[in-house]
Order: sequence, then C-alpha cells, then structure tokens
Amino acid sequence: MAGQASYRVGVDIGGTFTDIVVATAGGELHSRKVSSTPDDYSRGMVEGVTGLLTQLGGSWRDVTELVHATTIATNTILEGKGAVTALVTTRGFRDVLEIGRLRRPNLYDLSYQKPAPLVPRRRRYEITERLGPRGEVVTALDDREIDAIVERLRAAQVEAVAISLLHSYANPDHEIRIRDRLAAELPATVFITASHDLLPEIREYERTSTTVVNAYVGPVVKRYLTLLQRRLQEAEMHGRLQIMQSNGGVISAESAIAKPASIIESGPAAGVIAAARAARLAGINDQITLDMGGTTAKAAMIEAGAPARTTEYEVGAGINISSKLVKGGGHAVKLPYIDVSEIGAGGGSIVRRDPGGLFHVGPDSAGSTPGPVCYDHGGTDVTLTDALVTLGYVNPAFIAGGEVLLKADKAREALRSTLAEPAGLDVLDAAYGIYQIAGASMMRAVKAVSTYRGRDPRDFTLFAFGGNGPLMALQIAELAEMRRVVIPPHPGVFSALGLLYSQTQHERIQTFYGLLQNIDIDQMQRRYQLLEQQVSGDLRRDGHEADEVRLQRHADLRYEGQAFELSVAVAPAKLDAALLAAVAAAFHEEHERTYGYRSLSNAVELVNIRVVGSTRVSAETGARTQSLQRRKLARGLNVASARLAYFGREHGLIETPVVDRIDLLGRELAGPLIVEEYDATCVVPPGWRVSLDELCNLTILAEAAK
Amino acid sequence: MNTATQTGARSKVDPITLEIVNNALNSVADEMALVILRSAYSSIVRDSMDYSTALCDAQGRTIAQGLTNPVHLGGFPTMMAELVAKCGNQMREGDVYILNDPYGWGCMHLPDVFLVKPIFTDGKVQGYAGAVVHHGDVGGLAPGSMALHATEVYQEGLRIPAMKLFDAGRLNQDLLALLYANSRMPREFEGDLQAQIAACAAGERGVRALLTKYGSGPFGTIVDAIHDYAEFMARREVRQMPDGVYENVDFIDGLGEQGEPIRFQVRVTVAGDGIDIDWAGTSPQVKAAINGPIATTYSMCFMALRAAMSGDLPNCDGFSRVLTVRAPAGSIVNPVLPAACAGRGILVYRMLDVLLGAFAKIVPSRIPAAGEGGPTAISISGWRGGERWLITDGILGAWGGRADRDGVDGISNPGCNLSNQPIELLEARHPLRVEEYGFVKNSGGPGRWRGGLATTRSFRVLDEEASLTIRADRRRFLPAPLEGGWPGTPSISVIESDAGRRLLPTVPMKTLELEAQAVLRHITAGAAGFGDPLERQEALVAADVLDEKIDAEFAAEVYGVIVDARTGAIDAEATSRRRATLKDRKDLPHLQLFLRSAGLSSLGLNVPTSLDEARALP
Repeated sequence: MAGQASYRVGVDIGGTFTDIVVATAGGELHSRKVSSTPDDYSRGMVEGVTGLLTQLGGSWRDVTELVHATTIATNTILEGKGAVTALVTTRGFRDVLEIGRLRRPNLYDLSYQKPAPLVPRRRRYEITERLGPRGEVVTALDDREIDAIVERLRAAQVEAVAISLLHSYANPDHEIRIRDRLAAELPATVFITASHDLLPEIREYERTSTTVVNAYVGPVVKRYLTLLQRRLQEAEMHGRLQIMQSNGGVISAESAIAKPASIIESGPAAGVIAAARAARLAGINDQITLDMGGTTAKAAMIEAGAPARTTEYEVGAGINISSKLVKGGGHAVKLPYIDVSEIGAGGGSIVRRDPGGLFHVGPDSAGSTPGPVCYDHGGTDVTLTDALVTLGYVNPAFIAGGEVLLKADKAREALRSTLAEPAGLDVLDAAYGIYQIAGASMMRAVKAVSTYRGRDPRDFTLFAFGGNGPLMALQIAELAEMRRVVIPPHPGVFSALGLLYSQTQHERIQTFYGLLQNIDIDQMQRRYQLLEQQVSGDLRRDGHEADEVRLQRHADLRYEGQAFELSVAVAPAKLDAALLAAVAAAFHEEHERTYGYRSLSNAVELVNIRVVGSTRVSAETGARTQSLQRRKLARGLNVASARLAYFGREHGLIETPVVDRIDLLGRELAGPLIVEEYDATCVVPPGWRVSLDELCNLTILAEAAK
Repeated sequence: MNTATQTGARSKVDPITLEIVNNALNSVADEMALVILRSAYSSIVRDSMDYSTALCDAQGRTIAQGLTNPVHLGGFPTMMAELVAKCGNQMREGDVYILNDPYGWGCMHLPDVFLVKPIFTDGKVQGYAGAVVHHGDVGGLAPGSMALHATEVYQEGLRIPAMKLFDAGRLNQDLLALLYANSRMPREFEGDLQAQIAACAAGERGVRALLTKYGSGPFGTIVDAIHDYAEFMARREVRQMPDGVYENVDFIDGLGEQGEPIRFQVRVTVAGDGIDIDWAGTSPQVKAAINGPIATTYSMCFMALRAAMSGDLPNCDGFSRVLTVRAPAGSIVNPVLPAACAGRGILVYRMLDVLLGAFAKIVPSRIPAAGEGGPTAISISGWRGGERWLITDGILGAWGGRADRDGVDGISNPGCNLSNQPIELLEARHPLRVEEYGFVKNSGGPGRWRGGLATTRSFRVLDEEASLTIRADRRRFLPAPLEGGWPGTPSISVIESDAGRRLLPTVPMKTLELEAQAVLRHITAGAAGFGDPLERQEALVAADVLDEKIDAEFAAEVYGVIVDARTGAIDAEATSRRRATLKDRKDLPHLQLFLRSAGLSSLGLNVPTSLDEARALP
C-alpha cells in the first residue's frame, strides 16, 4: 500500500509556526503545525514533513510535489540581512532610489526616520548614458566606463548588483550590455538583476526599487532554496519543488531564485487562493476573506472567483492600513500582488486605555512570550484573547484540543482591574466592548479591499479562517451588514491548503504608452505576442507545455492625465479596432464601478500591457475530497456541552451550546452557538443560523428577520 | 483616579461606542480621500496631495479629516463657519455647494475649490461631507493661476462665492459652463471636480450608514463626545508644557530682484491648558500674490501644535478649542480685500518654521532645526501642435537635525506631504528632459546631528521655447539651526543656455522665457543642524564621506574630522588636534565649501561667513 501512495505537500513557514498539509492521492487531507526553526528554516520543515509522512505510513519518496510559502524574502528586508548590493544607474540619478516618493506615513511625527535605502549611496554607481522616452539614444553608452565600474564592484566585494537605467523599459540595450559585461567579469556567485528583465514598466523609482529589492534578497533566497533542494534530495524526494508568489501562482524553485522579489507575500497569498478555491467549489462567487491570527488580521476580496490584485506595495513598511493613502513606510515592489489589507489586530493584540478613556486594540502584540494574561507566562497586558476568554467564547481547557490550558480567572481579573473598573464598566461589558472595537478596526481592512474599490461589502460572503478568524467573523459580519459567513474545515491551517490548490503562474508586463485612439494596433499585437512567447518560455522552463497552459491578456489604462491605472482583461483574439473599443468600454465600466463616474469626453490612455500565463486547473479534484473529508470529520471528537457566554447588553449572558463541526451534519442550528475544533473556535451569536454544506464548510446565515 | 468623568460620563456616551464611531468616521474621511487620489486628473492632486476631505457635524464643525495635507487643516473650519451662517437655512436635500473665495467665505486661495454636500435625514441637515482640491487652473494672469505678480485677487482667476452646483439633486449646467470657460485646463477641471463629487457622495453614504445605525439624535450626542474627547486630550498635552511666553522671528527673502525682506513674528503663550498664538509684529499685506488668508494661518498653527504634542489626536473641532489665534487684520497672515493670495505657499512654510522655532523652546526634544523652508514650485508651459502643455512640479525637501538623530535627506516639508513626479512619465508627456535629480554634496547644515541635504533637479527644454514661473525661498535667510548647530545652505536657481549662466531671484516677479535647449537648474536650501558640529560622532562623519554626502575637506574644515576619502579611515590623533584648534570658532566655512563643490562660487552670492553675521536680523 505504502509503495503506491503518492502525496502532495504544502508547507507555509511563518516566523513562529510552520503549517504543513499533506494531500493523499485520494484527496484526503492531513495537517500539522510545528515550531519554525529560524536558524535554518528548511530543517524544521523537513523534519515536520517527515514526521507527518511517517505517521501516514509513507515517506518522501512518495511525494510528487512540494509547494512552499515562505517569509524568507520579507524577513531578509525587515531584518536588514540582505546581500551587499550595488546599483548601476544613469549618470545624474543615483539618488532616485533614496529620494523615493518623499512622503511620510504620519503627518505630525517630526521624529520620523526614513527607511534606509537597501543600497547605500557609496555603492550606487552612475554611468554615462541616456535614453529618451521612446527608447531613442540621447547619449550613447560608453562601454569603457563599464570597466571602471567592474573595478569598483570588485573592490566593494558586492554580492549582488541591480542595474536600472532611465527609460530602459522602452529600450533595454544599454542594460543588456552592462548586464552581460558584469556577468562575464564578476564571479559567478554575484547575483545580477537588470530592471528591464524584471519589470519593463515606466516610473523610474518604482522600477529601480523593485530591481534593488530583487538583488538584495536574491543571494539569500538562493542560498535558502539551494539548501532546501539539497535536503530534499537527501531525503530522496524526487517530486517538484514549487514556490508560492505574492500573486497567488506558483513557480519552480529555479524561477523563484531568479525572481525572488515575486515571493515576498507568499503566505498571505496562499490563504486567499485556498479561499477562492473553496468558495468556487461551494458555488460562492463574491467573497471577502478574513485571515486572522495572533498579531494581525488580513482581508482580501474575491470577485467572480478571482482575487483582486494590486501592484502598489511596499515591503518593510510595517502594518499600516492607511498605507493605501499615504506611502513612504517601506521599499516599493511594483510586482503583482493579491490585494491583501492588513491591520495590526489579532488575538495577541494588547488592549490599552488612553488618558481620555478610550480603549484601543493593537497594534502592539503580547506575542507568544509573555503572551496574553490567560497564558499565565507572566503577561500583564490584557489582550484581545483575554477578552474573548472572559466572554466565554474561548474554552480555557480546549486550546489545541486541550494541549494548552488557559487561566480564565487571571484574564478576567486583569481586565476588571486595568480596564473595566477605571472606565466604570462591568467586566463583561468591557470585554464585549473590546470585542466590538477589535471588530471595528478589522472592518477597516475589510473596507480597504471593498468600499475603497467601490464595492459594497453587503454583496459579499465573509469567508473567515486563521486561528482567530472564526472567533471574530460574526462580529465583523454584523458591522459590515454581511448576511452570510463561511468557515472552512481546518481553519487554523487553511492558508497552507491554498498551496495545494495553486496553479503555476508567470506574468510579464511591458509599458506601451499612448492614447488608445492613436495606438498602432499591429505593433500592439506584436508586443502582446512577444510577451506571450516570453511567458510560454517561462512556463516551459517550469515544466509546463503549451497545451496545459492558458494565456490571458490585460491592459493597464487610465483617462489621459490621471496618475493611477486600472487593469482590464483583453480578449484573446487578434487585435483590431473593435476589440480596442471593447477594451475602452471595459475600462469606462471599471472606472465607474471603482470611482463612481465615467468620462466620455476624456481620452483613454494605455500605459502597460500584461500577459498572465497559468496552468489549467483540473475540475474534479475538489469533488473527490468532500466525501473523504466528511468521513474524516465523522471520526472527529464529539464534545457537545454548554457554557456561559456573553453577547452584549441586548442578549446578556447565555448558556450556549458547544458543538463540534460534525454535530452539524444534516441539521441547522440557531445561535447562540459555539463550534469548537482542534485549531479554531467559531462563535455564532443570536440572530444567526449555522449549517454544514456539502464540503463541510460552516455556513452561517443571518436570520431573515434581522 | 476615576477618569470616567473626564469624557465618558460628561457626554453620556460609553467609551466603546465613542471609539467605534470615531474609527468609522475617520475611515469614511480616508475613503473620500482615496477616491480623489485615484480618480483625479491633475498632477497637483496625485503628486502634491494638495486636497483634503472632511466630515462635519450639523453645526459645520469638523469631525474627521482625510489624512492628506496639513495646509488644509484650517480650511474647513473657517469655510464651514461662513457657509453654515450664510446659507444654512436655504439648504435642500441633494444640494452640493461650490466655493473658493477667501474673502467673506473663509476659503484659502482661488485654486482651492471646495465642494460641500449637506447630509439630510428627516428633512434636517445632520452633517456635511466636503472635499477641497487645488485645481490646475482657475483663470487669472498666468497658466496655473499662481502668478506671483498679481497685485489684487481680481487678477487671480474666478472668485466663487458659495453657489449651488447641484440644486436639490439637479446639476447647474450653466454654472459648470462658466467654470470651464474660465479655466485654461477645462478637462482637468472637469476630471478633478468629478472626483470631488464622487468623494462627497462616498462621504454622504458613510455618514448616512451611521445615522441609520445610531439614529440622528444619539449620533449628535456621540459627535459631541468626540469633540469633548479631543479637547480633553489636547488640554492634557498643553498642561504638560511649561507656562510662558515664547517668541520667534524669521523672514522670507522678498520678491523680485531687490525684494524687501518680509517679517514673521510670533508670540506663543502657554497658560495652563490653553495656548495663544499672536502674530502681531508681522509684516503688512503686500501687493503680490503671497498673502495668506486667515484659514492658512490657522492651518499652520494647528500643524505646529500637533507636531509639539506626543500623540495623534482626532482631527476635529474639539482639538482646536485649546488654541486662540490672533493675527492683525491687514497683515500678511490675515490680509483683507483685495490682497492677492494665490502664491501663499511661500508664506505657509515660513509661518511653520517660525512657529516650530517657538515651539522648540517649549518642547525641545520634539522639534527639528529648520528644514529647506518649503517646496520650490516650478511651472513650465509651452505650445506643441496647437495645444498648450503645462507641468507644475515641486522640488522637495529636507528636515533639520533633531535632538537625538540626523535630519532627513529627501522628504516632503512637514507643512505638506508632497510627492514628486516620475521623471519618465514627465518626459513621456512633455517636451522636457530632466538632466539631474539628486542630493547635493556638502549641503547639509552642520551639527551634532546634521541637517538633511539639499536636492537638485534640472530641466532641459527640448525643441521649442517655453515659459517658466518659479517660486523658491531661503537664499538670504538661511534655515535656522538649534542648540549651537549651523544654518543650512541657500537655495539657488539658474538658467543655463548658450547665452551663459544666469542667476534668478528667489521669487522672480514675472514669467520667464526659456529658449529651446535652455536648462533650468534648481538647488533647494539644505536643512540646518542641531548641536555643535564638533560634537558629531566621528564615525558618522566618516560614513557621510564614504557616501559622498560631504567630502574629506568639508569633514576636516567643518567637523574637524580627518578622514581618508577612499577607505573612510579616521586619523584619530589628527582629528583630536584639529577639533581642539576649532573650539570656540566664529567663522562659518561650510557655505563657501558648498558653493565651491557645487560649482557656484562664481555666481557672486552673498553668504554669511560668520555665525554672528548669520544671526544678525535686518
């Protein structure tokens, strides 16, 4: 039996925990959470997977595919531990990187420190050359100057070089010549990135910063993935190693080594991909996802089954919801991302009372040490978890299936003495208030991905997961007036599931600038074809032939003179005037949808064209998992009991039934109700009804009268 | 101590509801701001974020503002007071007011066009959603509506008293036609106005949701409680400041070739939990477009006070109750009709410098030495293919040294939160080439904590001639240091062409011609230092040498640190000898070193050569 087994493995490594999921050939899912090993993340991961496989009676030899999400790139930047990097750029412009876009995230704080550039000025080298916006050569590149730069790069013992010249998106020739010379002259270990290879898109700071980030994390990611590949070889895994990107698609380890800036937000992307798939199988088209853990809550929007995307992102900016409005906290990386809005409120978030009497939840977190008061590890700051324990929502004896015991009385006492009493509130009312405030602040993340894009959250299903998502979901749904909430099985390790459901995806962009009405259609068609060839090549290198690949065209458009583009899909047919008219119409519509108006008097301007190539998804994998999941769940614990839980002044303290997900098979129950599981707890307040769908998702609907 | 009485009990609103509603209101104001940022047309909006959004209560008092630009902090309060007083009883559901008049309507300057939408329930105004955007052109003497040589507001474009752009939901097409006919950039005007309308609609939607949830009566009570909370928090901060009278004086260079310095004098009085700011002694209004109507003066007073406080407080009316502002009518900070005011930008930043200098005496650890003195505003325009092109660009900025750290290189002035235009987009759209954009060596004001470096940006006009207006400052009156630091470096604008190199006045009072292939080169002022330069850590001096932010000669002459430019090695012995000989020096060598390394010595600029000279007031 073991000999015939085959497994697909997903691993999501975070700073504290590593989540592992294993899918058998039959579609059965197994999961495990182990501690991360920051000295060498690959060690903890390989040991953890080995453990789970052994338990299943299998081994690494049976693994056909390992899909991996990692924070290595982000952490490298946050901790300032990247390569010794140099930048080669056009004469007169070496400070473009450090000047950035000049904005600060907080208007009134005059102690603000700008993030230090990833390449200090002393390693930013200028070279005599200049191109114009149409790629025309204004000043020719003098190859002899490259020699001098090679000498300086050698002397500085750089490990990575970024090359970014003005207008290289329109003509890569100068960058290519520099890149090739450096590659020939410098040791092979030096990681070289040219901006036109990575991001041939207009806007010099964003392109340069992206290129620099890629170079800065390049050697670190390469070391890590190479080591991981070696460990997997030693373990005799022969399957393929795939890495999750920030856009939700996976690429081979080799592609990730060449383009490490694309894997920065791989963990959060996996969760959204998992949600998109789970929702698609459940027949839900439009949903807002909520992924809440110990320190943050993350929201994303999925519309017609597809996650909303963005290319406006800064790495190392910290958690700041207003970063959508005010940039400047970090380093721009203008690659495609699933648009995830994050807010610093999670289970471990500390609750403070300011001198004016208001409560604030987060962004400081008690972390895992000392942790919330109820952990009894010496923590004295009341956290959101302490409030949830006080409310009776969290079972003190059932965290991780009873492996951790919480001290509910300590949490309650700390909450009473430090927050409730000074505010003149009853301890339960104070705890409930904290629950509401946390929900309200998470609402900002929900609004950032919906209302701020012109969408009404009431038209969406809330899809919640993460260790704490199911606890807060109904509060947020009530605030946002959302009428349906879905909680998938395994909510605590749900993000890692997304790794198993992801497709390989490569994407290329090219600035192609001009008024749509004046565009040279033939040339545009040729540029699309060129991008398609490149993307097909990328996919082929990752082992995917043309027949299993789908290519999609997109165009980034705006009204002439606007600063921000909206991306619309372009039909996969030969371009002609009618097709361009359809593209313009799609743009007008999306503009109206997002911003509330369209303009027919203003010309539409094309800025970029894009091609996204992805592998096709096989439709039936999900269908097979469901019955098995149900069987697995049927073997689960049955913990039906009841406890007192507080639902605010309106409902008061109620003896609330506590059930396992399996108890919902074949019936619908009304709130108040608590669904308690190994890795998460879902609180259903009065006014909601919960049932189980075909796929074992908890489906929670607002009662009609509400 | 039972503090429940401080806000909660008095207002009868529990702290939970207060926090939730306050959070919701701010989130609506931010959403409005995002709508404008993403969908507006003019570069002023997207790069300068020269716009703001606000929600106001039924009395017109501000309850939340979108986080965009401090210059507008005072705009909504003064405008709304006028609007509610004069039009409050004529409002109907579906109305949207439009106005920009600084005289009688509390607005700021003509390009800043306000839109205000009253929010009704049950036939009663429950609040207002408003948005102000700096429009690219509202007519007047020069493209961009910012002609500095305007002597009366009548020359600056279209004055709009409060009018109904929408009357009970019906768009006033005639008014719109009039507005567009008076703009050189009607398409941008329309796009930005559309964005404002969309933002007001988003604001109305958000407030309506709250009114529905809480009911209009309780909503009003909650809003009162938010004001009280902000007032309580602000008074608490002010109580911690030492009582006293703190004065400061600074100047702007003056206008044109031989401009008279313009004086800014401020007296900040801290007494208990209140603050009074008095501008008596400030220069009278001038016959040029740099007068700052009182709304702007309020803005800068609010900004300075916020910077001096330790926490971030709600942007609402309650906060401002701790503050009284007095400015003599007819002074440049409270001008009367017909003073021109389109170019008030210069004055705004000087007001902030003067205020921060005074507050540095109150809370020394929170205030930096003076920065570059405000963004340099450049507009270049020409004709191509029968169509006018126009760019407006800001060159920013550096912050001065602080009590525990260096200033910042390359950042927006604290008085605003501007961005820069991508060079590649600028060149793709206009017949211009940017020749250089970067920091200027030896330009950071010396100190234990160095001031930020000056920024240079130069534009070459390509095929055809173009016209230029430029507004800079801080050439004669250099950014002021703190605690024994040295002043920053002067701002410089030159035109380089076949005819040679020509130094421009800081504020030329006319439109200048740029012939084809001429280059405008501008260097902003460098920020001032904090503390004695001889106390600067040697390692920081060496790092600046390696980064070519200063050169080795500058390190030796100014900081007394002997550094090997190639390796960064410090000669410790030579350094301590050098530093000993420099003790109690009175000369000021850094300005000449800066001019020389920037190749500007031959311009014949007058810069102070000693500290005494730098401190001398006219």
